[in-house]
Amino acid sequence: MDSMLEAAIWFWIPLCAVPLGMWLSISGISKTPGRILCGLGFILVLFSSWTVPASDSTAAGHLLLSIVAPSLLMLYGIHGMVFGGNVPVGKLDSTARWSGGFAVIISIIILCLMHWYNFTPLWRDGQINPYWIVFWPTFLLFSTSLSSAAAIAMVGYGRDRGGEAMKLGLLSLTMTGIAVAAMLFDGYLTTADEFREYLWLAAADIFGTVVGVGSAIAAFALVIWSYEKSLPAPGNSPPPSDDEIKHVVALANTHIGGEEE
Amino acid sequence: MREPTASWKLLALAALLPILILVTIDVSIGGTTHPESFKRFGNAVLTSYVLMGILLLGNLFFYADSRHRPMAPLVGMLFAIAVGIGISYLLISNDDLLLEANSGMRAQMLSNIVHLLVSGTAMVLAALLAIGATFTMITGRKRRVLFEEEE
Repeated sequence: MDSMLEAAIWFWIPLCAVPLGMWLSISGISKTPGRILCGLGFILVLFSSWTVPASDSTAAGHLLLSIVAPSLLMLYGIHGMVFGGNVPVGKLDSTARWSGGFAVIISIIILCLMHWYNFTPLWRDGQINPYWIVFWPTFLLFSTSLSSAAAIAMVGYGRDRGGEAMKLGLLSLTMTGIAVAAMLFDGYLTTADEFREYLWLAAADIFGTVVGVGSAIAAFALVIWSYEKSLPAPGNSPPPSDDEIKHVVALANTHIGGEEE
Repeated sequence: MREPTASWKLLALAALLPILILVTIDVSIGGTTHPESFKRFGNAVLTSYVLMGILLLGNLFFYADSRHRPMAPLVGMLFAIAVGIGISYLLISNDDLLLEANSGMRAQMLSNIVHLLVSGTAMVLAALLAIGATFTMITGRKRRVLFEEEE
């Protein structure tokens, strides 16, 4: 079979099936088939480096599979930390806060070990997955940036939230520290020079994606606004006729009155 | 009620500053700039614009449901996406403007989509971490007694 056709069947079509399945599920057209389509597409993308090993694009699927475990651990930890606190619904035991925090720390340590120790995702012929060096600096830069913004938002919009803002700032500083360490010390299969080069590209990626997504949303808003603006203004409804007034008065009379208290 | 002391400008600065600091440290350690980052920026803008446009096109389905399914917004959004695809085509096929280490235009476009899949995953995971940490801080505090009568 042609390699392009194989890549289309085992990688690109499953990749397209993920958002399509989500859309079918969310829109309510076919909820269960949509979920099955989305899940099946995602699984096929994850295992695409085995189903179409010749395609370079499948390195992305391989990377996603490599980070599934620490990502799920992080999500489990965040869920425990949030719902172990004072929430009105879905409250977990207060120990969930500690176990959740521990899980998040372990997940970040695993990601660090994937850079500095032999947990690094290997792809073909023992070579490092080329997308690892895309994922890692982007994750570090974006989490640093968002944690910093969250810390300022916490202290700016909250009341007496200085302590919490400091903790968020500490998270931002930790991620900055990890990024600086990666700039200075070689990874297991990547050099500090490579990381520094990709840090630039990650910054370009983040700014580019934010600008692109913002532009698409702006275009969408413009399309909706211009359509709504082109619609004729709704006309005034005619005044009620005598019969209608009589009917309303009769209805009102049946509800007015009653015995005095 | 207390007036918020943060503004959108301050929040944007707080989000930008750590990235700028890290890039400055990067330059001071390495001593070089990377001209390829312009190409990456351009490719990221165009790819995310087109893909987000397609996702929003799907969202028009819900809008159309409440508006007797008009064609005009659908055509307008398709046109907006077509403009993005056209600009991508022109810039990638034009010499060395946006072509990275790929063999041709088709390879570059497919590479852009895969690249966005990876960087988007990294951004989503980072956002989950930051938002999760923020909510952890919000829910971490014990309930306050607002009025003495509550006791």
